[in-house]
Amino acid sequence: MVKLAAKCILAGDSTVGKTTLAQIFRSDGAQFQKNYTLTTGVDLVVKTVPVPDTGDSVELFIFDSAGKEPFSEMLDKLWESPNVLCLVYDVTNEQSFQNCSKWLEKARAQSPGVSLPGVLVGNKTDLASRRAVESAQARAWALGQGLECFETSVKEMENYEAPFHCLAKQFHRLYREKVEVFQALV
Amino acid sequence: MRKVDLCLSSEGAEVILATSSDEKHPPENMIDGNPETFWTTTGMFPQEFIICFHKQVRIERLVIQSYFVRTLRIEKSTSKEPVDFEQWIERDLVHTEGQLQSEEIMGRDGHATYLRFIIISAFDHFASVHSISAEGIALSNLS
Ligand SMILES: Nc1nc2c(ncn2[C@@H]2O[C@H](COP(=O)(O)OP(=O)(O)OP(=O)(O)O)[C@@H](O)[C@H]2O)c(=O)[nH]1
Ligand SMILES: [Mg+2]
Repeated sequence: MVKLAAKCILAGDSTVGKTTLAQIFRSDGAQFQKNYTLTTGVDLVVKTVPVPDTGDSVELFIFDSAGKEPFSEMLDKLWESPNVLCLVYDVTNEQSFQNCSKWLEKARAQSPGVSLPGVLVGNKTDLASRRAVESAQARAWALGQGLECFETSVKEMENYEAPFHCLAKQFHRLYREKVEVFQALV
Repeated sequence: MRKVDLCLSSEGAEVILATSSDEKHPPENMIDGNPETFWTTTGMFPQEFIICFHKQVRIERLVIQSYFVRTLRIEKSTSKEPVDFEQWIERDLVHTEGQLQSEEIMGRDGHATYLRFIIISAFDHFASVHSISAEGIALSNLS
């Protein structure tokens, strides 16, 4: 049995729902924040996620950071040495999807040469009539970037755990792979 | 006085603290004299472990076998308890793809009762330490 610890950075444009997602995950669905509060620094959410069929778990240290400038400019320091990435956009906001590549680049630049497991999360699917980003479009881009793809409605409490469970699983797989590398050395 | 590997568990050394632990790759693996067994870090850096000699020793040469370790700091204490550590050595290691890193250290003033190893950063998400060996002499038992 092993408990891994991963620094998870939560990235994406302002108002896509990063803080709402992190808080609902932290509180197991008890707290949907209706009112928007701009994140200016970084909020830390810590939660342990079991890895199915293993007895192992991953403690996620979720760094919920600011999507809005100028607050996002000081992220370089806070984002140092990330282990996994949760990239969020708003399905009703085309621009927030386009900007994902910028956020991804910024996150990957933090640890050059090291793979960064990640998920892409399209949030606010409850606003169906205002949808501007099609699932297929997002999936195609995510595939090209090696990201797993999800859609959520934090408001309806739909699918909000899946992205984090997926990150834990990916990180755990990475650990297993590295242990095999260590084992093969001697 | 007899020169021995002071970091062997068979010589009485013990890992009294490690910030990571996978049951399958426990910290004792670093001092069992077998580089095939290892300790892995399981999360974010820095990571550390403390070796207790259970006696006063003087280390002349230290060899650390590891993988993916980037910056390593070693502190030592000469107290009876694991307190009052002072910085001893800090090294930036090189990554050797597919091969164990083997870092040899000839430290000045190797008097110690405890060594604290801090892996400040690594080349990957995880790092491993396969063996720590310290050539030197045992001076006196802790009363
Ligand atoms: N309709 C709907 N609204 C949502 C959903 N998730 C979040 N919101 C709302 O979107 C607004 C912004 O959410 P936040 O989580 O604060 O946004 P953020 O990404 O943290 O923004 P910054 O901190 O500025 O980067 C809030 O008013 C939320 O209530 C959702 O699934 N559906
Ligand atoms: Mg926020």
